[in-house]
Amino acid sequence: MTRKILVVALQIIVAMITIPAVALATMSFENRNNDGPSIVFPGGELVSGELYSGPEPDWSFTNDVSTIHLQLDNPLSSRLIWIEESDGKVYITSDYMGTWLGRRWKHWAVQAYEGDGLAVVRINGIRYERKLVRVFYSPLLEGVIDKKIAKYRSRITREAIESGETWVFELAPREGGLNL
Amino acid sequence: MKLPHYLALLFSISLLVSLAILFVPGLAESIESWMLGFLARNAAV
Repeated sequence: MTRKILVVALQIIVAMITIPAVALATMSFENRNNDGPSIVFPGGELVSGELYSGPEPDWSFTNDVSTIHLQLDNPLSSRLIWIEESDGKVYITSDYMGTWLGRRWKHWAVQAYEGDGLAVVRINGIRYERKLVRVFYSPLLEGVIDKKIAKYRSRITREAIESGETWVFELAPREGGLNL
Repeated sequence: MKLPHYLALLFSISLLVSLAILFVPGLAESIESWMLGFLARNAAV
């Protein structure tokens, strides 16, 4: 009798894990080619929205933007991400990069750093072609840290950046690159 | 329930859930909204 109860309990537990896991995997699969990410799942190529061309924008408008869509050109996948503007430049960050699990979770950052870094961001419905350039040491990082703490109540520190726990990328223009 | 029957039932339900998510309009968004609401209510800050 006890064995029977244990078997039924085990069957229920396995079902409670398997069915939601299948649902999440299906939702992730369904979203993979969408025009942009959902809140939870990565999406595909950013297609809709005007493609910006012209002089470097005044990025201060991003202070009122909570999240943006970031798409790497290689591979073509997109996700939601926070954005920080500082000293006329825009930055994105990736936390938890000091662990294997973090690098698996935030694999886009590894792909951007090890690849060409070419990306498209969509902000307020407008697409901007940019290049992700990782920033290791720069006096400008203080502004990024202050902005991320003020905007998102983040616990980011300069030590975390310098130790590789947090990766910072400038969304640099595709031509010209960093100007530190 | 015998193991083969249980596995068949689990497979059938999983398949049904997958097909529903793929082909019922708005279902994936509803599940995601519910999931986010659940996390917002219960996740520790």
